[in-house]
Amino acid sequence: MSRLMRTSEIASLPVVTLAGDDVAQVKDLVFSADGGAVAGFTLAGRGLLAGPLKQGLAWPKVVGLGPDAVMVADEESLEPRDEVIAAAASTVEGVGSGGNVLGDRVLTDSGTDLGKVVDVVIDVGPGGAGQCDVVGYEIEASEALSPAGSKGGKGTRMLVPLPDTISVSKEHVMVPAAARDFVTQDLAGFGASVQQFRDQLRGPA
Amino acid sequence: MLFSDLKGRKLVDTSSADTVGKVDGFLLDPATQSIAALEFKKTDGGDTVAWSVITAVGDDAVTIPGTNVLIEAEGRLAELASKRGVVLKKRVLTDAGDDLGEVRDVDLDPSTGSVRELVVGAKKTPTHVAGARILGVGEYAVVVRAAD
Repeated sequence: MSRLMRTSEIASLPVVTLAGDDVAQVKDLVFSADGGAVAGFTLAGRGLLAGPLKQGLAWPKVVGLGPDAVMVADEESLEPRDEVIAAAASTVEGVGSGGNVLGDRVLTDSGTDLGKVVDVVIDVGPGGAGQCDVVGYEIEASEALSPAGSKGGKGTRMLVPLPDTISVSKEHVMVPAAARDFVTQDLAGFGASVQQFRDQLRGPA
Repeated sequence: MLFSDLKGRKLVDTSSADTVGKVDGFLLDPATQSIAALEFKKTDGGDTVAWSVITAVGDDAVTIPGTNVLIEAEGRLAELASKRGVVLKKRVLTDAGDDLGEVRDVDLDPSTGSVRELVVGAKKTPTHVAGARILGVGEYAVVVRAAD
């Protein structure tokens, strides 16, 4: 079963072993360099006063990711944080900033500003199998976007589907102009929207 | 048999016919998905009886062959008896990261001690989790395999 989650829901989730012990909590997400997938997590200790940990968690070690916890096999699943970050950056050498897209403007390749990224939507594969795909961004809609579907005014939160690969810079996230036609407001129907959008981009088989 | 029904049942020594205690708790071993021992109160001496030496878990009493089987939990049993090993009222997480609620009760097989199911979540809408799905019991949660 795959499910869509906002990454803001993941920060501060406990990291729990299958033996039932909470060994850390999520501090931040590490995205692959192309921004197309979650590569892992940086971690903090449990509890209010605990600081960041020197350990991180690479996505392949995640057994399950749900609304209430990140599950790992055992404490051995944690790796040095720098290695997790380095591994993420090396997936596509030197492309984009990868990391933080929050606050970036979403720009179509035809030059329309759709809005500002406020959250990232990921598709969590079943039981950590496969990759944790970034499938969309939640944006605060720009004026340009609002009249199109007349779904809401400026500042409305909208979900923009993403193609398999995207270009990310410190300022902008580039999406195909067609993404605009698949914007939704509701996470429930967003999965289908992403699928249709990607199918259309791939063209008739 | 639900543990909530078993709790408070008297412990009888078959050699003397005396009541020597009352059921107070259980130690669940996640590795075997069964009850490793029962804990008693109002006993003289030890308060724990390994499941394997219990004569019977009956409808009205739990019977043992003699008070010498009442021991203090040691080794593996002591681990299970610690706060980490407690199951009741602990949150249940699936290996997919879903919180199912707290363990309310445990249904056990009185002849073998194996856990038939955990009763989890709200009283009116409990979730029944088969004992065979238990993966671990730790500081933070009881971890179970996600439903298929």
